[in-house]
Amino acid sequence: MAKVLITGMGAISPLGADLPTSFAQALAGHCAIGAATPDIAKWLPNVLLAQAAAEPASLLDNKHAGLDRASQFALVAANEALAAANFGSAPADARRVGVFVGIGFGGAHTVDGLYDRFQSAVHSDGKRNPVMVHPLSVPRMMANAPAAAISMSYGLHGPSHTYSVACASSSVAIGEAFRAIRDGYLNAAVVVGCEAMLTPGALLAWNALRVMAKPHAANPARSCRPFSQDRSGFVLGEGAAAIVLESAARAGDRDQQPLAELAGYGCSSDAAHLTAPSSAEQIYAMQQALADAGLSPDDIQYLNAHGTATDAGDVTETESIRGAFGSAAERLAVSSTKAMHGHLIGAGGILEFALSVMAMNCGSLPPTATLEQPDPRCDLDYIPLQARHGCDIRAIMSNSFAFGGSNVSLVAKRIAP
Amino acid sequence: MLEQIIKNYLINTKDKNPALFDDPALQVSALGLDSLDMVEMLFEIEDRCGFQLPDPTRYPQMSFREMLADIEAAIREHNNGELPDLSLEASK
Repeated sequence: MAKVLITGMGAISPLGADLPTSFAQALAGHCAIGAATPDIAKWLPNVLLAQAAAEPASLLDNKHAGLDRASQFALVAANEALAAANFGSAPADARRVGVFVGIGFGGAHTVDGLYDRFQSAVHSDGKRNPVMVHPLSVPRMMANAPAAAISMSYGLHGPSHTYSVACASSSVAIGEAFRAIRDGYLNAAVVVGCEAMLTPGALLAWNALRVMAKPHAANPARSCRPFSQDRSGFVLGEGAAAIVLESAARAGDRDQQPLAELAGYGCSSDAAHLTAPSSAEQIYAMQQALADAGLSPDDIQYLNAHGTATDAGDVTETESIRGAFGSAAERLAVSSTKAMHGHLIGAGGILEFALSVMAMNCGSLPPTATLEQPDPRCDLDYIPLQARHGCDIRAIMSNSFAFGGSNVSLVAKRIAP
Repeated sequence: MLEQIIKNYLINTKDKNPALFDDPALQVSALGLDSLDMVEMLFEIEDRCGFQLPDPTRYPQMSFREMLADIEAAIREHNNGELPDLSLEASK
């Protein structure tokens, strides 16, 4: 079995237009949460959003202007990750390089725009024909559009797979790419998670589910409060993150320095409830990831929690971490960076994993930035308020637990000097 | 107006060289448009006119001028011989 290395990473998130900026802002405890755009606030005045720090189209060639916003985010993150990995277009082994994408709701902007246009044409006094719709609507909105954009941009002829597993989408994409390289099917893969659904239609749907954070009275930017007694739910975000995975042999052949080793992947399904989490299978996902990596609970020093700031989610995850780590949970540093960048759904897992790898490599752990009133039922070391520096982190775990009961845990190891 | 809308699309969205259109014998096939480009280009007109132009696969066999004339004829046929106001912006 091949050792799988991370050789490049990138992101465009609410915290920054690239991964280093996103990480620096996370360490600073900056909360990139704000008021909704006027088209959403008109209907939902209390809804908060975590909008991306930059317009993705402004970072791409004009030829990508017609892509759905999610595909644009995916390309921006992939460009950064591939450049960091010194990974050129159309490599000699292009048929053994795959593209693995995770996305929760493909083409949300295109779909919302389509219905908005239909409605305005209906009420245009005959100036517009409602049935005239842009002919690229389908290729824009299809869930695999981001994967197609990346494989075409870089001439990658291996499989281009798209996973839609709600909040665990991009963590599944990482895990499946990891297995494909480890088991010899591929030499390398570009893995991307992307999400762009801060639209009126999507927000109406999320609002109906009653899981969205209410504005914090003192500071709305600090409204997402995982593991805190005064939590009120999560804030939807948008953006993308990307990582380049390569077999150790391929990275070695081209003298590419790795950033970390992707060492373990565990996944499970609750098979119990559509939205409510349950502990047994979360524990099993974490145990699988540890076993896959050949590590014991004591070998993990930092865990990026799914930490959505819902009562059921926070309490169940705390129980699950205790169940998986046993007494080692007392020594484990845990944080939820969603307090700062919001919940990026399909892009959440990979953004949080990338931030965790950066934390491991520099020994500085991002905080749960809004944890002012710890919930006594959430009694782990949740790194409240301030980043923690000077830590010796040799391995990290990142959890993603999705609606639908899909649980994913990933483990990465630091490269020995 | 019709010619300008199509040229604007080809120059601004598909990065075609404006000098191409100085050639009165310019062939549509010389523009290097694939089938998706073609339907996207026609949508610039269709959205303003409110109907779908028939069979876009005919156009690559025509010169650019013949295509413009064919599109104008189709629009007039659909509007009792008139050319409607095309100044509305097409949806994206």
